[in-house]
Amino acid sequence: MAEKLRIVAERGACPAAGAELADLASESVIACDLKGFIQYWNPASEALYGWPAMAMLGRRLGEISASIPLDSEHWQQLLREGRWHGPVRRCTATGSQITVSVRRTVRYNELGEALDVVEYGRGASIGVAEIGTHAAAEPQGGGAACWELDISGAHALLSPASAPEHPHDALGPDQEDALERLLSLARIVDVNDRTVRLFGGNADRKQMVGQPMANFWPAETRSVLTRLLAEVAACGPSQIIRRRLDQAQCVLRDATLTAWRSVAGGRNTAFLMVHGAAAGDRTAWELQASEDRYRKLIHYMPTALWQVDARGMGEILDRLRAEGVTDIASFLTEHPEIVELGKDVVCVTEVNSGAISLLGGRCAADLIRPVRYLFTGTPDTAKRIMIAHFEGRRNHAEQGRILTLNGRMRDVLFHVTYPMPPEQMDTTFITIEDITERLRTETQLRQLQADHAHAARISTLGELATSIAHEVKQPLAAIVTNAETSLRWLSRDDVNVEKLRQLTGRIISSASRANDIIQHVRSMAQRGERERTSLHMSEIVEEALLFVRHEIEARRIDLAITAAPSCPRILGDRIQLQQVIVNLIINSVQAIAQAESTERRIRICIGSGPPGALGFSIHDSGPGIAPDILDRVFESFFTTKVDGMGIGLSVCHSIITAHGGSIEAENHPRGGAIFRFSLPAQPHEARD
Amino acid sequence: MSNSPRIAVVDDDEAVRESLSDLLQVLDLPCRSFDRAEAFLTAYASGAFTCLITDLRMPGIGGVELLRRMKALGGPMPVIVITSSTDHSTHRDVMENGAMACLTKPIRGEELIHHLRALGYDCDKGRGGGR
Repeated sequence: MAEKLRIVAERGACPAAGAELADLASESVIACDLKGFIQYWNPASEALYGWPAMAMLGRRLGEISASIPLDSEHWQQLLREGRWHGPVRRCTATGSQITVSVRRTVRYNELGEALDVVEYGRGASIGVAEIGTHAAAEPQGGGAACWELDISGAHALLSPASAPEHPHDALGPDQEDALERLLSLARIVDVNDRTVRLFGGNADRKQMVGQPMANFWPAETRSVLTRLLAEVAACGPSQIIRRRLDQAQCVLRDATLTAWRSVAGGRNTAFLMVHGAAAGDRTAWELQASEDRYRKLIHYMPTALWQVDARGMGEILDRLRAEGVTDIASFLTEHPEIVELGKDVVCVTEVNSGAISLLGGRCAADLIRPVRYLFTGTPDTAKRIMIAHFEGRRNHAEQGRILTLNGRMRDVLFHVTYPMPPEQMDTTFITIEDITERLRTETQLRQLQADHAHAARISTLGELATSIAHEVKQPLAAIVTNAETSLRWLSRDDVNVEKLRQLTGRIISSASRANDIIQHVRSMAQRGERERTSLHMSEIVEEALLFVRHEIEARRIDLAITAAPSCPRILGDRIQLQQVIVNLIINSVQAIAQAESTERRIRICIGSGPPGALGFSIHDSGPGIAPDILDRVFESFFTTKVDGMGIGLSVCHSIITAHGGSIEAENHPRGGAIFRFSLPAQPHEARD
Repeated sequence: MSNSPRIAVVDDDEAVRESLSDLLQVLDLPCRSFDRAEAFLTAYASGAFTCLITDLRMPGIGGVELLRRMKALGGPMPVIVITSSTDHSTHRDVMENGAMACLTKPIRGEELIHHLRALGYDCDKGRGGGR
């Protein structure tokens, strides 16, 4: 109904553009029909009288008159003469009376028929007695938060029997309960912008409409409101009820509640207006509400959060800076006592529930003390946090360990956010994320991948036994022959000592070569996670050839390797990467052998891949890969070979992926298959 | 046999090649070694060799292929193949392609000498009188 009236007001008396202009006027502008029903009420009117437009549209202007007979006389005069001006006494929303100097004009259509009345009003000189109440009722710029509530559902509850006779008296528990239900039954019909802003939380006007009042009204003053609504429901329509909230109800400090039953159109709704006391738009109430929300958010968020006051440390660091310290890292290394001091000077001021549970504390108080306890696991973390503080960085993050209050060591990620002016300098945030489980899972995954690669390696070594035997037999053959030759020299009359020395030297070098090969095979057969080391891909390829050279030669395949001179080093597991090369070469050799191609060659290129990566490619002269299986070649147990297991390429894929790289297969435009992989280049600073 | 016919040694493995040369040297049998079959074939055209000792698996032309080419060239030169393979079919393949012998690495000197004697080489020249 109020909505409908507003539309009438805009389309009829005040055309949209006019209404918009009047919205901005500093003078009160009110439009009424000829009977005095209000159709437009501008914000200045709200500021002057305290009544928001929502509460006034559809009501008679006379209702706020302090002297009705006089007012109706003036109205008659206006309709006769088309104009009227003079002072009027009006009742404000807070119950006080003010004198307003008004000018009223009747508007006519083309036929000369009266259309409506526009009233311009300005606060006249206010009597001394009125100043106090007026000032309190009308904070600068702040309008009322207005609600229209449907209380029809609450009627059963408010039958004369259950309505409190003396609403100011203390209520019994039963009545309290009934009134509590009343608040749930009172549904929101409409609210104004200020209500949305103050009470809505994250809801907008549309979301508030239709909801129970109880969803939005602050709990602390709920009983005041329920009593007020009960009274309103029990009263006649014209009666306005006011409550002033006392100081003790801190959130609504100095607020006035005004409520009445709706008289327009016989609806069963109640209007409620709240006049806030704080100046400006962001009232103390609103701030408090947002702070409460913030506090709750912080408290229950899943990240463990510490709020610390690091100002004491900031002062120490400032003093050091003033004394000319620039290299804070070296300084703190030389003066560990400063770091130790910092651990006692910097205090935790607040922690959330996540922090308490991470540290295994019973309550916040267990953790509100100097920060020393955060650094028992990795004492150097404190130093690095101080360095970042000194250097004026916004954030610092590092991985470390923390000893909980119940003596468990956890792997964690520290993240520090330092305050920057104009923020409050007493608040540095430290979040600590427990990554113990994540690290454990990662370790397990790495182990699993390593186990898988190992199993595949053993299987490959089995397949390559002949090749490996051939590699070992070469130096052994040389040793045996050299030893025999030596014996023959010794049994000659003309013993050639120089030659004997040479032969013995050759025996030694062949023996150590045999030993190297065995060593190499053994490391290939070993299980376990190895350290990642700085590697050159061409070395890896060279070492891998030990296992497959014989295969290549036995099948009379021509192998060519080209390595770009400037290809980057990589960080990786030497054995696993050799395994990749071995598998890729075997794959190529088998493809060529299977196809019995006349052209039998493998081309390996080592060079720069995408930016910041090493690229490797192996191109064979085999038949290539059927297009329909191209995207399956890296799947486990996928094979096109009669005696294949489908392990080789899938292991390549898992090893390259575990090294942070990627591998792909395609057919070369000039025939044959080409496999390419890239691995991240080793960062420069990490090089040894 | 002052002007001993030369023996050719072909093996891609340097240590094996050198050891065979040294063995032939202590037997006072002049030889020349090659690291690839291709290199030997180039030198073979001159007809300077009376016997060939070759490895089986080598990059490029392998031992069996070399036997075939030798046969095609028509030379009656005897060929002794040495291989690390213990595979019967490999040995059969070698013999079917006209090798005089197929020895398994590591070869025993006596075995090689036995075949060289059969070819008429004097392997006892350097022997001391005490033996």
